[in-house]
Amino acid sequence: MTHGIVPPYLLARIAELDDERFAVAAEAARRALRHEAPFRAARLSFSLDESDNLVVEVGAGPNRTIADAGHLEELPGTVVRSEGDEPTGDDAVDEAYDGLGATFALFAEVYQRNSIDGAGHPLDATVHFGTQYDNAFWNGERMVFGDGDGEIFRRFTASPSVIGHELTHGITQYTAALEYQGQSGALNESISDVFGALVEQYSLDQTVDEATWLIGEGLFTDEVEGSALRSLKAPGTAYDDDVLGKDPQPGTFADYVETEDDNGGVHINSGIPNRAFYLVAEALGGNAWERAGQIWYDTLSLPLDPKSTFAEFAEATLSAAVTRYGESSPEAAAVRAGWTGVGVEMSSDDGRAA
Amino acid sequence: MTDARPDTLTILVVRSGGFAGLSREWRVRSDDHPEVDWARLVEACPWDAVSPPDHSRDQFIWRIEAHAPVKRRRATLPDSRVRGAWRSLVDQVKAVNAKPSTER
Repeated sequence: MTHGIVPPYLLARIAELDDERFAVAAEAARRALRHEAPFRAARLSFSLDESDNLVVEVGAGPNRTIADAGHLEELPGTVVRSEGDEPTGDDAVDEAYDGLGATFALFAEVYQRNSIDGAGHPLDATVHFGTQYDNAFWNGERMVFGDGDGEIFRRFTASPSVIGHELTHGITQYTAALEYQGQSGALNESISDVFGALVEQYSLDQTVDEATWLIGEGLFTDEVEGSALRSLKAPGTAYDDDVLGKDPQPGTFADYVETEDDNGGVHINSGIPNRAFYLVAEALGGNAWERAGQIWYDTLSLPLDPKSTFAEFAEATLSAAVTRYGESSPEAAAVRAGWTGVGVEMSSDDGRAA
Repeated sequence: MTDARPDTLTILVVRSGGFAGLSREWRVRSDDHPEVDWARLVEACPWDAVSPPDHSRDQFIWRIEAHAPVKRRRATLPDSRVRGAWRSLVDQVKAVNAKPSTER
């Protein structure tokens, strides 16, 4: 099946086509425009059925708006590209627009989720935030990207995994709502890394074996000894640099880092659930977004405690796997082995891993 | 101006978190930079104001400490709250540190 995002002006033109050859597409476009809340853009999926008839499915498309902060630390900035607009020629603007589209596509096409809140929430982003600003963040309403300092970091829109990571924070906010502190905070971070990685894999059509499993590849300048900021496959190996030091992420629960900074080390300890996800995906093989990703996505909709520990989240992923695939399924076995592989024991006795 | 100006003040600024999760740290002893009115900068900050939890994620988190012989103060705040007096203090501490004392 081929998927495509159709901008509003093209949708209107398709809807007006008076040509039998395109009757199916025209009707689909008219349906999109008649929709209760008319789509800003629509996703049209084209496929052939068993009789070689063209099947066109219509779904909601993203509603992206990119603003430019003009190097000030003020939000939202000036709107420079809206849904359906042509590329601006500004790399940060166009990368943000495309990255949000790729992230929307993963959630819509694979998990049938319409945007951040499941109901078409606008995807708003601001680029060129601050001066030499070494960060990208989600402020509760929009994604914000700095240009980097040019010495250690390049612009943060350069990696689709970063854009997928930030948008996923919005999805977690509307679903599991994991508190951003300690273990639940590291889980919140990990979920963003997992789906950030899957955004890249889905858009590049990479299998588990083909994927890099890196987060933020290409963000470091050539001056830095490192390929990316984090590795789901091998936490602690993404960089090792004279100035920055070594990637501090642990890959097993025994090495959990207790710290008062960074909300209790949410960006450090996320390495543990990150590797658990990788192990599940590796065991199942093929495309990670299909079964491993589906289990993690299903888990977000379970009634999770916002202060969930790793062990509690692990139990929830097992529950999701059992519900969808069965108690004795390879998927449930992979989930059990994945968490065991990082030293997180599923025990509801004390809610904490061994 | 406060009458209880301490003789020596040590100010520590730690920026953690952010998407990259990298920490940077800046430190200054008031004795080493007497040209700056550190006590006034420190007194101007709303140390007791609490930052309410919000939905921001991957923001830088700032830990700012001011240690005097008789008083130790400390605040943790998200990047979006480092404005006004906080910003003045942080910028001044960073300015006198030609290089960060620690980067990791």
